Amino acid sequence: MKIQFTSEQAALRDELRQYFRALMTKELRDECERDMGEGGGPLWREALRQMGRDGWIGLGWPESLGGRGLTPLEQFIFVEEVMRAGYPFPFLTTESVGPILAEHGNAWIQREIVPKILAGDLLIAIGYSEPGAGTDLANLKTRAERDGDDWVINGQKMWTSLAHFCDYTWLAVRTDPEAPKKHKGISMFLVPNSDPGWSCTPVHTLGGVRTNATYYDNIRVSDDHRVGELHGGWKLITGQLNRERLSLINFGPSAELFNATVRWARDTELPAGGRVIDQGWVQMNLARCRAAIECMKLIVYKQSWAMTAGNLEMADASAAKVYGSETFIELYRALGEIVGQAGLLRDGAGCDSARRLERLYRTASIITFGGGTNEIQRDIISAAGLWMPRASR
Amino acid sequence: MDFGFSSEQQDIRQLARQILGEQVSAESLKAYDEYAAPRFDRALWRTLSEAGLVAVPVSEAEGGGGFGFMELALLLEEVGRSIAPVPVLSHCVGGLMVLERFAGSDLKQRLLRPALAGELLLGAAVLEAGNEDPVNPLLTRAETSGDGLRLNGSKQAVAFARQSDYLLVAARHVDGVAVCFVDTRAPGVTLQDCQSTAFEPQAHVLLDNVEVAAEYVLEPSDGAAIMHWLGERLCAAHCAHQIGVADAAMRMAASYTSERQQFGVPVATFQAVGHRVADCYIDIECLRLATYQACSLLHDECEAGVETRIAKIWAGDTGHRVNYATQHVHGGMGIDRDYSLWRYSLWLRHNEMTLGGSSVHLAALGRSLAAGEGLFA
Ligand SMILES: Cc1cc2nc3c(=O)[nH]c(=O)nc-3n(C[C@H](O)[C@H](O)[C@H](O)COP(=O)(O)OP(=O)(O)OC[C@H]3O[C@@H](n4cnc5c(N)ncnc54)[C@H](O)[C@@H]3O)c2cc1C
Repeated sequence: MKIQFTSEQAALRDELRQYFRALMTKELRDECERDMGEGGGPLWREALRQMGRDGWIGLGWPESLGGRGLTPLEQFIFVEEVMRAGYPFPFLTTESVGPILAEHGNAWIQREIVPKILAGDLLIAIGYSEPGAGTDLANLKTRAERDGDDWVINGQKMWTSLAHFCDYTWLAVRTDPEAPKKHKGISMFLVPNSDPGWSCTPVHTLGGVRTNATYYDNIRVSDDHRVGELHGGWKLITGQLNRERLSLINFGPSAELFNATVRWARDTELPAGGRVIDQGWVQMNLARCRAAIECMKLIVYKQSWAMTAGNLEMADASAAKVYGSETFIELYRALGEIVGQAGLLRDGAGCDSARRLERLYRTASIITFGGGTNEIQRDIISAAGLWMPRASR
Repeated sequence: MDFGFSSEQQDIRQLARQILGEQVSAESLKAYDEYAAPRFDRALWRTLSEAGLVAVPVSEAEGGGGFGFMELALLLEEVGRSIAPVPVLSHCVGGLMVLERFAGSDLKQRLLRPALAGELLLGAAVLEAGNEDPVNPLLTRAETSGDGLRLNGSKQAVAFARQSDYLLVAARHVDGVAVCFVDTRAPGVTLQDCQSTAFEPQAHVLLDNVEVAAEYVLEPSDGAAIMHWLGERLCAAHCAHQIGVADAAMRMAASYTSERQQFGVPVATFQAVGHRVADCYIDIECLRLATYQACSLLHDECEAGVETRIAKIWAGDTGHRVNYATQHVHGGMGIDRDYSLWRYSLWLRHNEMTLGGSSVHLAALGRSLAAGEGLFA
């Protein structure tokens, strides 16, 4: 038990912070801002390739897979720092689908896909949800049918985020409509978004963030594009979602926003005299946020440590997801109260925290239901963590 | 960054769990309800001492078990899990650890050695009426008297005061804060028993011209740093105890609701019930991590002011929420004195409020932030 960075880990964090200070030019920042913090622009893509060339993306990947062989904890330090710097890092590709492909992909995927992910040269959207398949994902209807050596894919996905600038979709499809249990008839494919049968239309959300409805019209792919076992897709989906859950809870940006808000409250005089931070309720709000973010930090560090040690508990991963997603919302409220009216102004009236909070509160709800809704996570905690029976579904 | 336990730490935890599991039960605790008898199981205390657990935080050089505060925290967690009637917290933190760290060899000879040998019980008198800040005694005064000190004033609700042979006392001195050990049987010392919510043996300690010989003075006037050191460790120790209490209460709730049937199904299968317990799980994980962080930093004598406050905030919030959630999902059984949850409820409250509730520590943390401390690295 030693809950402190080793000196190497502290040095890595400092190095990364330095690195991103240089990488995040004004132009890149403006572009990311324009793209609503989602990325996808030309400077954003170039910066990702730069990170790939500099060997950062696969920092914690095994050397046999083209990584640098450090542990998940170092990988996590990297992701925290890149997110903290305000770069919309495509962690779904690199941290959740990528490792699954590296582990389960066939020779073609190992050769053509994985190296490009580590090079920052290939982006993947996640195609699980459908109009009729949300939390009950196994209800999905998009299907792949065998035709000679190929597969022909037809169907529609909903909420396929980032798909409009991704290269592939990590697609869950039904391959066995007769399977006695719905989740036993699902397989995973990597479908090229460049296929003429692939199309998407935008879906706009509260936070201004774009997501997509995607359509799959007689897309023909070779069996190389199938990942893992036939009808064995469910295991890959849950494995990917476990990883996604961990990467959704970043404390880096919250810690940075907290620091910035404290500095602002310390430096800002009230018209009636005294500083913003001299008010008792402001100190209480800040203290609450400080205590909440501290535990977010500890929870995610512990997860990374557990991944390294190979003893990640399902209940703990779910606890991290519930705690983190609900804490974000509370933080944006408590910090929003402090910046006050400025937090309703889209430019933040000169207060950078306020500007960020104005957007953040609008995007905060996504991960309480996305990435496996918190109700299901709580079911997992009581069942897997405490052995409580649960109602059949 | 290492969240694992060494094999020695696992052994300590296992040994404690085994002894406490064997010797503490709902039946044995019944004897102390409503102060029917002082809540101090001397046979159990002897067993723990003989097993080397009481000496865990003291180095081998001083005759202890050769471990530190982290290992003591693990022991305290087990004491909390069983809500065992033993003075581990007050004796080990308020007595042994302070002596090892701050006493000269003479005082170690007088108090630490016999305490380790099981001949003396020690404790710490740190709270005063209306003043729960150990660093800043206001109602106890010390003046120089010969080579030693003369004490006047009072301390409130001192755990195991009547059972202890010596109590650490901090007192305001004209030049600062004096810290010394007071013989509970010395002339001028009056112990006034009081009854506390969890039936812990406690007494108010009244000091009327109590003479303390120089040999028993840790620091005649510059003792704020000692009390700061002690205050943080007492806080963290209560958090460690709280982990065990809360975890046990949660597990009781999980197993009770898994058995109890209504509408023909276990009540645990109602999502509202399962989720309430899941929230306890998340709260306890936060408390555990915040506490382990504080304890491991304190173990290494690192600066841990912010981390310790955060742990105590979680001990308060988690304690409160787990307390009422576990009662609620038990229905009436949760408060039935023939079932064991109710005693856990008392201890959750005890740990929540002792040495300051969440708001006290939030306010202090807020002041540090305003003063420019405590930002994230
Ligand atoms: C901005 C955005 C981006 C997204 N990105 C992607 C993406 O890239 N790829 C992708 O595949 N999907 C994506 N999603 C979809 C997301 O994963 C789904 O929204 C999520 O799975 C919930 O499904 P649903 O919206 O159909 O809600 P529903 O499943 O209809 O749920 C509605 C409510 O019912 C509750 N509920 C459902 N079942 C239960 C139960 N068993 N017990 C208790 N309560 C229950 C839910 O918690 C929720 O509160 C995205 C969604 C959004 C909004």
